[in-house]
Amino acid sequence: MEDAVTRLKNAVINYEMETIADLAKKALAEGVDPLVAIEKGLAEGIKVVGERFGKGEIYLPELVMGAEAMKAALAVLEPAVPSGKHRASAGLVVIGTVQDDIHEIGKNLVATMLSANGFEVVDLGVNVASTEFTKKVEELKPKIVAMSALMTTTMPRMAEVIGPIKKKSIPIKALIGGAPVTDVYAREIGAEGYSGDASSAVDVAKKLVG
Amino acid sequence: MAYGIKRGIRFQILSDEDLDRIHWSTLHILEKIGVQVDSPACRKLLKDNGCVVDESTRIAKMPSHLIEEALVKKKTSITLAGRNPKYDAKLDMNHSHITANGNGAVTVDFETGERRGSTKQDVANSSRIIDALENVHIHWPMVSSTDQDPAAVHLHDLDASLNNTEKHVMYETGVTLSDAKHLTEMGYVAAGGEKEYRNRPITSCLQCTYAPLQHDAGVMDASLHFAEAGVPLVFFGMPQPGATGPATLVGSLAVGNAEVLSALTMIQLATPGAAVIYGMGNAPLDMRTTIRAGGSPEHAISSAMATELAHYYGMPSCVGVSATAKVPGDQSVLEYYTGCVGPLLAGADLMCGVGLLEDSSCLHYEEIVMDNEVVGAIKRLIRGEWADDDTIPLDVIEKVGVGKNYLAQRHTVDHLKSEHFMPTLIDRRSYDAWSTSGSKSLRDSARDRVKAILKDHKVPPLDAEKQKKINSIIESTKKGLWGGESKTY
Repeated sequence: MEDAVTRLKNAVINYEMETIADLAKKALAEGVDPLVAIEKGLAEGIKVVGERFGKGEIYLPELVMGAEAMKAALAVLEPAVPSGKHRASAGLVVIGTVQDDIHEIGKNLVATMLSANGFEVVDLGVNVASTEFTKKVEELKPKIVAMSALMTTTMPRMAEVIGPIKKKSIPIKALIGGAPVTDVYAREIGAEGYSGDASSAVDVAKKLVG
Repeated sequence: MAYGIKRGIRFQILSDEDLDRIHWSTLHILEKIGVQVDSPACRKLLKDNGCVVDESTRIAKMPSHLIEEALVKKKTSITLAGRNPKYDAKLDMNHSHITANGNGAVTVDFETGERRGSTKQDVANSSRIIDALENVHIHWPMVSSTDQDPAAVHLHDLDASLNNTEKHVMYETGVTLSDAKHLTEMGYVAAGGEKEYRNRPITSCLQCTYAPLQHDAGVMDASLHFAEAGVPLVFFGMPQPGATGPATLVGSLAVGNAEVLSALTMIQLATPGAAVIYGMGNAPLDMRTTIRAGGSPEHAISSAMATELAHYYGMPSCVGVSATAKVPGDQSVLEYYTGCVGPLLAGADLMCGVGLLEDSSCLHYEEIVMDNEVVGAIKRLIRGEWADDDTIPLDVIEKVGVGKNYLAQRHTVDHLKSEHFMPTLIDRRSYDAWSTSGSKSLRDSARDRVKAILKDHKVPPLDAEKQKKINSIIESTKKGLWGGESKTY
């Protein structure tokens, strides 16, 4: 009989997104430490899924299903973590699609890839007001603020977020991406990181926090 | 799952009236103009069956009922068996099979890049590559073992092929009676006996007719032997529109058709019910360079039309593709894509063959792997599409609703591998990801795959007992067991 933590790990590996929440509840009922369940169960599981994707053994939908499973279990486990304690991760990332832009898929893929590689990701969604980005950054103190824009007309919103953050000397790195965004533009607006696709975003993020 | 590429899309180029007209014209050619038959045995066969045969010109005029009777007598259900039954290619008119190209004399050395004569080791290596590739279904000895005894080159080719792939081996080298006997015998040995071979022929022979309207003596004498021995045959017409056929593609096709149907008729007269596949490589002569344009759109559309003609006769088709490119790369891909996509969209049963350049004469190992990718893309094009509850999943569409995505749906994972072509060489990564991992060209990636196959892909060889017999067949050519006969006219 597998222990509760191993079951959670395997449930992520097997993309059991529909049933994993029950497993998480059961683990808590059995008295499993929620931090252990997250770090030794979910995080280990998603690591396996991320590695398989990196090697080309599985495809994107499977990776996303693994991440969805993790998310469903986190929704149960995280509220049970005693206040003052926080799960270990590669780093906290606040991510969103900039104001006036509702393109979501690319941003979601980056968020999924990051969480599959050990980052803790807070997704602010789409059409995120520039002031909302800065507010969340001050509140959560993430290591990275990641922004996506799909249109040339919404790209300048990125600068609108980075400017005030730099001014306040908050110790944070900006990671930007999206179809019209280039490494040249990133340098221009003072973003430390740029990635042309979701897979390379992970490497860039690792460098930024390393 | 059936072996080969399942096809659900079929383009139509010729109308039924067009096909009738080509058929009628072919019968006219055979009855009024005739074909030159160099084999005395075949001439006797034709004369005995009511053809008008002129012994001085060796031209035989064939009454149309003989052709129609041959079309009735031919074997309609043909399976080209593999040494491993999972590679059995059933020519069921519903699957396409890709073959390797054959018998190049030159190989560009994979390690040194030197352009040199092909060796038996090249035959062995390319056979192993073909064995590993998912989109090539039938093997041909891709090059000739020019480093071996000239009298036994073809036997060495077959030996190296049988030992390095479990897929069906089709050769195009049975052009004398003695070669035919040796090659047949090797097939029997590899299959475990004549009875086993006749039940599951693991080799076959492609024979070329000579345009316009000629049949070589050696080829036809060998073919009579093959047919009697249960070796499946392809008769492959090769008129070149503008040179050895009329410049019009359909006109040239009629000439090639007369060659193929007259060969079929001779075979069915000698061995009723013999397995014969309809072959055609109607590729024009390039009028600027005098090179055969094997990867041309004209060849592609001719091969598509030849396939329609074959199916009109109830025969599986074997049609050609090649490339004039000198190196693996942009031109070779363009030529092979053009040459393969036309016939495969028309439902070609056998597409021969991939992997050689310089009009089927030069082997680069990388090209085989690149063409495998070309076929992979076309495989998706011809699969066919349909609308039903599964392909339009209204329940899933409702579940996902507005503004979300389908990535984490079981339906997505369940359909991914069948709906989406997953390339092995085409690089779809971003510029950054591609450049940081070496900025590799398609050819570079193909080289990597060749290296991996040669390093890791293992093929079980023939067992020692069979190998001993095969060695003695090869050895016998030195002693002239069946005699190396000279051609008779």
